[in-house]
Amino acid sequence: MGLKAYIDDIVQAVVTTAKGMRITARYGADPKEEVTLQYPEERWELPERYRGFLHNDVKKCTACTMCVKVCPVDCISLESVRGADKKMVLASYDINIGRCMYCGLCVEVCPVKSLKHTAGYEMASTERGELILHFIGEDAAEVKARVARQVAEAAAKAAEAAKVAEAAKVAEAAKGETKE
Amino acid sequence: MEQAALALMNAFPPLAGVPPWAVTLLLIVAAAVVILVFALTFEGVGSLVLRKVAGDIQARIGPNRVGPNGILQFLADGVKLVLKEDIIPANADRLLFKLAPYFVFVGSFAAFVVVPFGVGLIAADLNVGIYYVMAVTSLVVVGVLLAGWASNNKWALLGGMRAAAQIVSYEVPVGMALIPAVLVAGSLSLQDIVRSQEGLLGIFGWNLFHNPFTFFSFFLYFTAAQAETNQTPFDLPEAESELVSGYNVEYSGIRFGLFFLAEFGDMFIVAALATACFLGGWNVPFLHAGTLPWIWGNLLSLGVFLAKAFTMVLVMMWVRWTLPRLRVDQLMRMSWKYLVPLTFVNLLGVSLWLLVFKGKGIPGMIASLFG
Amino acid sequence: MTARPDALPTQEMTINMGPQHPSTHGVLRVILTTDGEVVTRAVPDIGYLHRALEKIGERVTYAQYMPFTDRLDYLASMNCNCAWAWAVEKLAGIEVPERAEYLRVIVCELNRISSHLIAFGSYTADMGAFTPFLYAIRERERVNDLFEMICGSRLTYNYARIGGVSGDAPPGFLEKTKEFLDYFEPKIDEYNNLISYNKIFVHRLANVAVVPASEAVAYGLTGPSLRGSGVPFDLRKDEPYSVYPKFDFKVCVGAGERGTTGDCFDRYMVRINEMRESVKILRQAVAQIPDGPVLAKVPRVFKPPVGESYFRSECPRGETGIYLISDGSVNPFRLKIRTGSFVTMNIFEKITRGLMIADIVAVIGSFDIILPEIDR
Repeated sequence: MGLKAYIDDIVQAVVTTAKGMRITARYGADPKEEVTLQYPEERWELPERYRGFLHNDVKKCTACTMCVKVCPVDCISLESVRGADKKMVLASYDINIGRCMYCGLCVEVCPVKSLKHTAGYEMASTERGELILHFIGEDAAEVKARVARQVAEAAAKAAEAAKVAEAAKVAEAAKGETKE
Repeated sequence: MEQAALALMNAFPPLAGVPPWAVTLLLIVAAAVVILVFALTFEGVGSLVLRKVAGDIQARIGPNRVGPNGILQFLADGVKLVLKEDIIPANADRLLFKLAPYFVFVGSFAAFVVVPFGVGLIAADLNVGIYYVMAVTSLVVVGVLLAGWASNNKWALLGGMRAAAQIVSYEVPVGMALIPAVLVAGSLSLQDIVRSQEGLLGIFGWNLFHNPFTFFSFFLYFTAAQAETNQTPFDLPEAESELVSGYNVEYSGIRFGLFFLAEFGDMFIVAALATACFLGGWNVPFLHAGTLPWIWGNLLSLGVFLAKAFTMVLVMMWVRWTLPRLRVDQLMRMSWKYLVPLTFVNLLGVSLWLLVFKGKGIPGMIASLFG
Repeated sequence: MTARPDALPTQEMTINMGPQHPSTHGVLRVILTTDGEVVTRAVPDIGYLHRALEKIGERVTYAQYMPFTDRLDYLASMNCNCAWAWAVEKLAGIEVPERAEYLRVIVCELNRISSHLIAFGSYTADMGAFTPFLYAIRERERVNDLFEMICGSRLTYNYARIGGVSGDAPPGFLEKTKEFLDYFEPKIDEYNNLISYNKIFVHRLANVAVVPASEAVAYGLTGPSLRGSGVPFDLRKDEPYSVYPKFDFKVCVGAGERGTTGDCFDRYMVRINEMRESVKILRQAVAQIPDGPVLAKVPRVFKPPVGESYFRSECPRGETGIYLISDGSVNPFRLKIRTGSFVTMNIFEKITRGLMIADIVAVIGSFDIILPEIDR
């Protein structure tokens, strides 16, 4: 290494260091360059499409099980029974948000748009069980029993109605017979 | 200290009955406590300032949760370090492992003894001041090497070896870069060096402006001293991205805390030496601190000294957050192929200058031109 | 060196670098055999992040696999998403609306920028300068904001769909992208001034771990790692897919700017320069994007015809190739993914012989490896 290269080396080291230090000094001196968002007090605005926790509007839900089928990690489980009016009634609708990866496929396939992402992203729990969201307040067995009762009642009613109708028919027939 | 003790006994008659050695001992302990308190406070506040400066430079805020604007953060850190579990790894050399942090801390703390804080504010104005600092800070090598060896960890061992090689190599340029100041002052005592920079508007008397060679030797000293105290960009012994944390990887709790404090202590020592040897020390601009009343002279000079030293510390932090780290062979090359020859050439230049111009600096010559 | 008979008996030391180590970019484990600071052998040991992504692919439907590609390379999820979509579309012969292709290119290039930012930032942090890392993260945050706007997520985007994309650009997205580009372009010069040409940084990287062009090709390196060796091979140019032929951009190659062609500095510089090219592509794409639908009609129960296909696309870490065999059912019969980072592990042992421990970190960073891509 010649003397020129030697001195060049030193000069370059000093110059490039000075250049870098000028930039860091600018950031250090300028308070406007701070970008920190002090999270719990300040929050950023969530966009409309934000994929937070899932929420199912159970009143709208038709229990079509599309979401269950599309979920790649099987975090949604639902039980349903056929109600008195031939529509499906949800007995339970659970989402395990500990397992959910917030991919949004279930929301996309929901035909009645009852399943939606909320803007929620904060939750802490000490037990895994707490991570399972139950959207039906009642116990699944209770709902099933209630629906079964309703179905039975409806069936009974229908049977009664049928009986009455039958009786009416018989009476009609008897009337006709007597006429003859 | 003995003279101070005698003076104290003369000033306060009730002390007359006490043996002089007891008063001297008391004074020594008091001075040690004052310096220890100063060192610990500086180290605590220094860590906070370091983080704040890092935050500013990195476009963030830095610690701001403990106390107003985060100023109590260092207390929280300290409490955490003290309360943490002290872990000694299995198969570690327990005695050496426990001993190492004290070596490091003592090495850095003992150097505070000769720091000239003010006109009369110096714990011991040794006539070999600079030599003493160089010698006593070498104790750090022993501690770091012990820490690396005793941890029974290969990363720590590598860190310790790096530290030993680095500190020993950089002691040469550090010493050589300080000698110009000694030559100008004609004394190894730090107080004498500071006094030699008096006058000439307080600024142009500084060794920094004495002649071109002393100007360069300031920068050479600053670079080499950063390397000697393992500051970034020369923090290879604890390079966190290579050696995880180097020699202190296995330390926790207060033992780690001692390493941590020593690091900041070293930082201050470097800044203080740079200030004392090149930046005029405690000399107050436009005034003669020595001729002022005792209290005012000391207060003013202490303020000036601390302001200069802290500015240097800030510059060190600024460098730290800008530069990447050298590789170990490049570090050695930088010492032996760049800094050592340059400091020698520089020393030769200063000596020749002093010989040719009879010890006069450029500002002195200009001043004499105008009478 | 000649061994003296009375010399002290010395022994090589074996150190595990990783799986927990700050600069192995994840859970890579490198078994180092060192003679003091000099590494005589460095053997990468992979597999700590194996999640059987390829096997999972055989058990879920084509559409369901999309979120898993997010996890293939979490710093460039968009590129992986789109690679999967393009691969399945190639297998099934689906025509994609043009606007969707433009949107894909926009998000891919944005993601390339954000991925290279992390590469740049973590590399400088590996070299000991922590500040540029935070600057890089700051810029990446803006890209994340854009992604959050278009797909609702900040890391695992799941944006592409078979036959298009999940949603059109929301109002204001393209303007914000332009804004970001105007903000970001000058920052590249700032990075160069701050660190790229810094003497210490250059010294750390130049002439370290040189991969000659012939060797890079022989070992199958792709992406910036290959281009750093001076081979101008870029799938966006050489095997154009999507709407890339419509854009004017340059393939960045290493030219031995500060040392030998193919050293760590060249690989690093290729990434910095590629960010500029991505900005160029983005400007053109944002200006040219046509109107129209963003999702082709694809049957809900999607069954591609029997057959196989291989599709490769240029991801930030090299070529991501997806090999698919379909047996006509809803699941792929076989899925194989070829990733850029995995291939670099082959050459790792060869080029690290005789380097120092600090250089190992430089080599890992210069390939910009990411562990989920290596282990899959």
